[in-house]
Amino acid sequence: MISDRLVTVLRQLQHDDPVGGVADVTAAAADALALDGVAVSLVTEGVRTELLWCSDETTRSFEDLQFTLGEGPGPDAVHSGALVWVPDLLSTSTDRWPALAQEAEGLAVRAVFCFPMEIGAIRVGVLTAVRRTPGPLTGQQADDALTLASALTARCLGSREAGSDRPVPTDLPRVPLRAVVHQATGMVSVQLALALPQALLRLRAHAYSSGRSITDIAQDVVDRRLRLDHDGTGTPPTVADKD
Amino acid sequence: MTREQRMTEVFVEVADSLIDDFDLIDFLQQLSVRCMELLDVAAVGIVLADVHDTLQTIAASDEHTRLLELFALQNDQGPCVDCYKSGQPRTNIDLSDQRAAAQWPQFAARAAETGFIGANALPLRLRGRVIGALVLFQTDPDPLSAEDLTLAQALADVATIAILQQRTLDHSQVERAQLQYALTSRIVLEQVKGLLAERWKLSVDDAFAAFRSYARSNHYQLARLARQIIDGEIDTEVIPHPSGPAARL
Repeated sequence: MISDRLVTVLRQLQHDDPVGGVADVTAAAADALALDGVAVSLVTEGVRTELLWCSDETTRSFEDLQFTLGEGPGPDAVHSGALVWVPDLLSTSTDRWPALAQEAEGLAVRAVFCFPMEIGAIRVGVLTAVRRTPGPLTGQQADDALTLASALTARCLGSREAGSDRPVPTDLPRVPLRAVVHQATGMVSVQLALALPQALLRLRAHAYSSGRSITDIAQDVVDRRLRLDHDGTGTPPTVADKD
Repeated sequence: MTREQRMTEVFVEVADSLIDDFDLIDFLQQLSVRCMELLDVAAVGIVLADVHDTLQTIAASDEHTRLLELFALQNDQGPCVDCYKSGQPRTNIDLSDQRAAAQWPQFAARAAETGFIGANALPLRLRGRVIGALVLFQTDPDPLSAEDLTLAQALADVATIAILQQRTLDHSQVERAQLQYALTSRIVLEQVKGLLAERWKLSVDDAFAAFRSYARSNHYQLARLARQIIDGEIDTEVIPHPSGPAARL
């Protein structure tokens, strides 16, 4: 179960900010998690990331440092897709992140917890939470942060789409996606020669514009009753495709 | 072979499999198959709760999408949800019974279409917390004996142990990390199924069968191989598949 304080943060996340993007919730999230700082970085290309939001300067400089060095819990979380939690940076083996270890003594940050924002192999970004004192997360903090990372994944997927000429809904349905949606994502990525995130966005855009659920659209794609076109519309497959 | 002998074999196999770098999803899939054979039921699945407390299928004795979707339907309703929420086994449920139809209308109808008339759900327990369930479907009306159910619970416990044994990259033994990693791996497999199905012009089920047998014969971890394929690091034409050049000869 997630805490009431986090519920408030998740509600804020549902509102767009005045510029039309997703509202920055990092400061509220740090408070709700009872940690010192929270940062959200988005994957721009491959495993490269760019800082999107940051609650404070200390967290910003840590996030900058690890992505400049190209090593640390954040880059590892993005690369592996696994949670990377470091309850005490000073007691981490220096072999793990040698360059970061050299800087560790001078850092204001002692504990770092990274939560990949991902949908299977789709890397969206990473949520990083830091504390100035060492120690593990409580179960409640972990549950809250995992839920937040999942909500951010849905909100931020595609928010950096370049050249998108039509509004893309930036929220995935609250319900987790069914297996068939992931299968259809893989199929569309081959059909339209797109990376997986863009393929999922096409499915979502098509569901949105046709007023049907993404699960139904995905089922039609997997059963080869529907083939999405580059312009986002769908057609039944040609006869040759039915082989 | 007697059942005791087969059981012993299964546990030896389990002990052999839980080595340093084992493949969790493949392990749970094979455990589901063994469970199906030992208990003589029609299908077995393992579901895990995600961060939203929704049950996700992580492995099943049969990878056919139809069956996976049936397990997934239990997101909303079904014996699995009851078992997960209460932490108690839900056993020998007659799905053709009117009460089942009234309680879980969508699930009971879909189960009946698939030919399942009985269901059992056993909790995956971890120090007082329930992390998921082992589900058994039957196509015959014979109830499972108390002995069968004890064995099923033992296999559910093995599944829990395996999930916690699995090493994530950072070698942490944090339970939440393990669970989360398992759930993500499962999604990666679904994504690669679709990708291969389209590339090879096969059904997702056939594409996955070819992918899995290639991974097994080369001792590759399923989720790791799937990620490499998605990242374009592997030429998928090296994988033998029914519509490939070798198959056409």
